[in-house]
Amino acid sequence: MKRHPHAWRYLSVAFLLAGLGIAILVQIVRIQNSPEVAGVIDQGNYIWKDFFPPRGEIYDRHGSLLAGNKTVYEIGLDLTVNPDMPTVMLALQMSGLDLNEVNYRISLAPVNAQYIILDDFVSADKAEQLMTLQKAAYADPTGKNLDAVFFKAHYARSYPENDLASNVLGFVTEDNHGYLGIEEKYDNILAGIPVRMLVPADPRRATEYPTIPPGQTIILTIDREIQAAIEKILDQALVSTDASSGTIVVMDPRTGEILAMSSTPRLNLNDYQSITTVFPGETPFNRAISQAYEPGSVAKILTMAGALDSGAVQPDTVYFDEGYILVGGFRIVNWDGDAWGYQDMTGCLANSLNVCLAWVSSIKMESDSFYSYMQRFGLGHATGIDLAQETSGRLKLPGDGDWGPVELGTNAYGQGVSVTPIQMVMAASALANDGKMVYPHVLYAQIQDGKQSNTRTQIVGTPISANTAHTISEMLANALGTESSAALVPGYRIAGKTGTAQIPLSGGGYDENDVNASFIGWGPVDDPRFIVYVWLEKPQSNRAASVVAAPIFKQVVEKLVVLMDVPPDAVRLQMIGR
Amino acid sequence: MNNVTQIVQKVRQAPWRVQRQWIGLFLLALVLMAMVAGIYLNVTVGATLAGRETIALQATITTNQRVNADSETQLAGLTSVEAMQQRAEAIGFQPASPDDITYVAVPGYVAQSAVDLSTPGAAHPAAPVILPEYTESWFDYFMNQQASSASAGGQP
Repeated sequence: MKRHPHAWRYLSVAFLLAGLGIAILVQIVRIQNSPEVAGVIDQGNYIWKDFFPPRGEIYDRHGSLLAGNKTVYEIGLDLTVNPDMPTVMLALQMSGLDLNEVNYRISLAPVNAQYIILDDFVSADKAEQLMTLQKAAYADPTGKNLDAVFFKAHYARSYPENDLASNVLGFVTEDNHGYLGIEEKYDNILAGIPVRMLVPADPRRATEYPTIPPGQTIILTIDREIQAAIEKILDQALVSTDASSGTIVVMDPRTGEILAMSSTPRLNLNDYQSITTVFPGETPFNRAISQAYEPGSVAKILTMAGALDSGAVQPDTVYFDEGYILVGGFRIVNWDGDAWGYQDMTGCLANSLNVCLAWVSSIKMESDSFYSYMQRFGLGHATGIDLAQETSGRLKLPGDGDWGPVELGTNAYGQGVSVTPIQMVMAASALANDGKMVYPHVLYAQIQDGKQSNTRTQIVGTPISANTAHTISEMLANALGTESSAALVPGYRIAGKTGTAQIPLSGGGYDENDVNASFIGWGPVDDPRFIVYVWLEKPQSNRAASVVAAPIFKQVVEKLVVLMDVPPDAVRLQMIGR
Repeated sequence: MNNVTQIVQKVRQAPWRVQRQWIGLFLLALVLMAMVAGIYLNVTVGATLAGRETIALQATITTNQRVNADSETQLAGLTSVEAMQQRAEAIGFQPASPDDITYVAVPGYVAQSAVDLSTPGAAHPAAPVILPEYTESWFDYFMNQQASSASAGGQP
């Protein structure tokens, strides 16, 4: 046996190659699996990152943006690169930033700080101006630089319509929390869920970046054209009547959708910081839901509806008005102090006779029946409307410590009971909607994953029968026609009622000088499309609601029939007949 | 029997032949392993590049979303009720009153209803952002390939 003379060479090369290959493979495996290397990668390549989802947008019922988002900037300073402070401060000043704010923030920075936030929520215009200066500084031959200035873009709330529907919308503060109105009520779904987490800088693990769903977009029942119209009418009304405040609510009585809601004052939501100036003291942000008051004679429609429904009276029931009635030992008189003689129930409503209604509640209905109906109409309970800070008003009931027998008479014409405008609107929806009382709401729909979910109409209750609802509507329409009310709109048959209410004083008794003037109405009577509530607080030009509130109702309806495409009754019936 | 005897004889005469065969086999295995390592390296580099691109695209998406939000808000401001009323009045329009309107019956006319902001196709699930090539193992890959070829009629 003879060994090949060059065998050792082949073997050497083979072992060398084998050793090299094995070394490479071992190294690859070691790098991939070594806990030390993995630890180094993890420590050096994981960074804290904030993920802020954009806040959901708010649209009106026709898709007009009421609340959106805009880009603003956090401007920071990296202290580790030895910033050129004089140049930085000059650039900030040139860009329009508030140097007092900047200096204040710098003064708060800890001694060993590496990064300072110079300002936040800086508008895009100012930030872009500063960016331009920074770019120019790169080429500055004198060595001045803005290298240490950093920009971090993020979202801020923006309201393109400024103060339109501000009482409904509410606002969002810089910490992304919604306050008041829709912004507070639906804060949890609008805001989305911000996430702060460690994310891998290792690009191979980019799949580990979280997917942060944006806040849900919502659509309101509000019609911005109607909203703008009623706000303009309300502003003009306050000037013409010299009232201290005003409220107008427009609702679709068939669905409970709030088409417009306004009260004074209003806030420019892009300048929400001025809220303490615009709403001094205890001023409610939205009087339509947050301020309960004694509504006065507008509540007579509920008393009469209950009386008709219970069978206590009929439209042609006659009452002889002597000008006063004793209830619980107290003397109740009419608004003018006069006796109106024989009146049927329509006459009692048309002439707004306190004595007649007190007779209806105390003699014809009696306590149990009367208060049962008032409760069925929702008085004394919040409606549950989807707006923040609703109050419930107060309906004193027999058995309550502060209830007296006279309340049975005064409550019948809206004194001694407090309600919010939205409570009255909800209660009256039963009269306009075949006896079915609808839940008032502002949310029309919400968008999730690209799909729209519409809010369904909810019937809160059926306090009266459909027949009673038709009867009371007819009576109120006839009453308006009889008195040639200033609320009448030519071509349209409207049902409605005025209310001039005394204002209770905190120490007891009623204000001798000021009143609340209200009007509630709906139409067209045979197919109601809208229900309108008007409330003027302490009008000075005239105390009578028929003089100050009824014309405002008329102005609102004249706008509504145009904006909602409601033809005059004759035209509509002619079209239906074809 | 003679053949076996001959082979044994040849091996006894030149044992380096067996050694060469073993070395050849070893080198073959080494080359195969090197190929595997090369492919592995290639895939890793590809995943890294894709990851970087993903991060860059995420940043671009974020920026674009902000630009979109800005643009939408600016557009809403330009078409706000107040702005539109001013523009309408500037070109001679005035608010309509009920007396200004003549109603005409139009067969098939559907009154304006509330908006529907559903996204077209939202009912269908979105395509995965990260392709399976970047997440599946080789085993998964071969299984999927086999399954797809079977479903395509590749089986007899």
